[in-house]
Amino acid sequence: MNAEVELVGTFAEEEECVHAVEVLKRHAIAFRVFSPIPSEHLVHAIGRGLSPVRAFVLMGGIAGVLTGLAITVGTSWEWNLVAGGKPVVSLPPFIIIMFELMILFGGLSAAASFFLFARLPQFDPTPGWSERFGADRFGVAVKCAEDDSARIEALMREAGAEDVAHEDPRVRELVAH
Amino acid sequence: MAAAIEPLNTTPTFADIDRGVHRIMDPPGMLFWVWIAFCATLVAIAGALWTRQIYQGLGVTGLRQPNMWAVYITNFVFWVGIAHSGTLISAILYLFRTRWRTAVYRAAETMTLFAVATAGLFPLVHLGRVWNAYWLLPYPNERYLQPNFRSPLVWDAFAVSTYLTISATFLLMGLIPDVANARDAAKGWRKIFYSILAFGWRGTGEQWRHFQMMYLLLAGLATPLVISVHSVVSWDFAMAQLPGWHSTIFAPYFVAGAILSGVAMVLTLLIPMRRLLNLEQFITPWHLDNLAKVVLLTSLVVSYSYLTETFITWYGQDQFEVVTFQMRYWGPWGPLFWLMVWGNCVLPLALFSPRIRRSTVPLFIITIFVNIGMWLERFVIFAGSLATNFNPSQWGFFRPSITEIMITVGSFAWFLMLFSLFTRYLPIISMTELKEGIRWLRQSLRDDYYPDVSKDMK
Repeated sequence: MNAEVELVGTFAEEEECVHAVEVLKRHAIAFRVFSPIPSEHLVHAIGRGLSPVRAFVLMGGIAGVLTGLAITVGTSWEWNLVAGGKPVVSLPPFIIIMFELMILFGGLSAAASFFLFARLPQFDPTPGWSERFGADRFGVAVKCAEDDSARIEALMREAGAEDVAHEDPRVRELVAH
Repeated sequence: MAAAIEPLNTTPTFADIDRGVHRIMDPPGMLFWVWIAFCATLVAIAGALWTRQIYQGLGVTGLRQPNMWAVYITNFVFWVGIAHSGTLISAILYLFRTRWRTAVYRAAETMTLFAVATAGLFPLVHLGRVWNAYWLLPYPNERYLQPNFRSPLVWDAFAVSTYLTISATFLLMGLIPDVANARDAAKGWRKIFYSILAFGWRGTGEQWRHFQMMYLLLAGLATPLVISVHSVVSWDFAMAQLPGWHSTIFAPYFVAGAILSGVAMVLTLLIPMRRLLNLEQFITPWHLDNLAKVVLLTSLVVSYSYLTETFITWYGQDQFEVVTFQMRYWGPWGPLFWLMVWGNCVLPLALFSPRIRRSTVPLFIITIFVNIGMWLERFVIFAGSLATNFNPSQWGFFRPSITEIMITVGSFAWFLMLFSLFTRYLPIISMTELKEGIRWLRQSLRDDYYPDVSKDMK
């Protein structure tokens, strides 16, 4: 049986890591990337498109506006008292409440949907991850058959990897548990 | 205590940035705890005086008719204003991809959060019956009695609580990658603490993809929020038909003043922090110079607002308004008003000089005067206008009691205590963003980048 291995390439520079990602994509090899910085080049190279977080923010914002409308109009009808000759439902001042709740709900939706899509909180170890990838190195992890590992390692080294480590996923699972 | 000054590394690496920021989070020394104890003592005194005020009533303050709004409301608006520049620096400058923002935005965001938290206390302190504060919120009740959503005070409750929530969210979300970095280097209880705050962040491409979108949208939401919150705060006054308050220019005027006071406060905090924590490597003259330019710009906008306000009064010739302004300029409020003009309009003009913008001592002194000036601006507007209302028989002068003075002092101690604790336990400089813009940091560290930097700033 051909065992699976995890290859973890370490890159000192963002450009090299971006290059490695492009090479792996060209060869249709699945990978996972780690970065210590919010690199737009890397996110672009991964090529997954825009995050769906934005849709949730839009929905949160709309929900906020509607909640603001419901609270202000609903409570005004409930306390149905004409004050200062103004209409009971006076929309201009209510827009302020709707605006604030739009921001509040939109912002909280941004945070909640980020947790959802980034799969956080996550306390199990991520395959291929190393502390250095949060500090000063970029990483690319590829899970592949042992027979194919030499070819993928060569691709990563050509792209500029300063090191390519072989990890056995079974050992990692044993350590994790 | 500051260690011996080492020559700056003009080509810092990612590892240097990590080392530098982790060093700030090393266990603090005795002097730090003495400072915290000093602040805590002042907070405890303020807390005791507030307790006495709750027990005995607002009579222990200097609040008398017609001055029922004075120091507490001044403090509220002052602290909300301070909070605004944090959002300006972190959100607005993020949207504009301003390069110098990276080293200073976390401190500004932290300041924002604690300033709003401090501001939020003052409407409560100001209430005679604080236990009824929840009446501002709509909740089901048997009398169908609901808050009046046409009232600026209700708008304010919604605006400030939204601002507090969004500021806290923005700060905590932005902290995640940095706290994860700190987690990987920490030991003992700190590792557990940082692990909880990092939520298991690993910095995968997918996590960054969603993080960047979330952060961008939060910045996009925080930007109009910051404008709206201080506009709403200004309407607490502008919606009232009181000479000196009832003005259409209050919203932009207050927003400009908020940014002026906030950026000045950022500098007031950063300059000593930079020296005490040896952060010259990361907060360079480039950062201070740019912050000083924002102070100068907003000072000019505020000066223009003062002139416009005066012009409107002169052009309108409403006799009550004219008298209010005469009292403000030449009457009992005059000394405070002219000190305010000195601090907010005249002294910041010195920042036209690059030499002053790049010397810490003059810059620090100017920012202190701006802070004083901005506090006085609110005090003169609120207390001064109420003291000269439509009824001359009521005219008077407000004198704060020791309760108000000590609660004000306590609010500064509370703010500084929280800020100081944050600097030593959480990353006060964003490592990830500083690394992202490392070439700009390196450029700003070169000796020839700012040839006329004074020795005290190096």
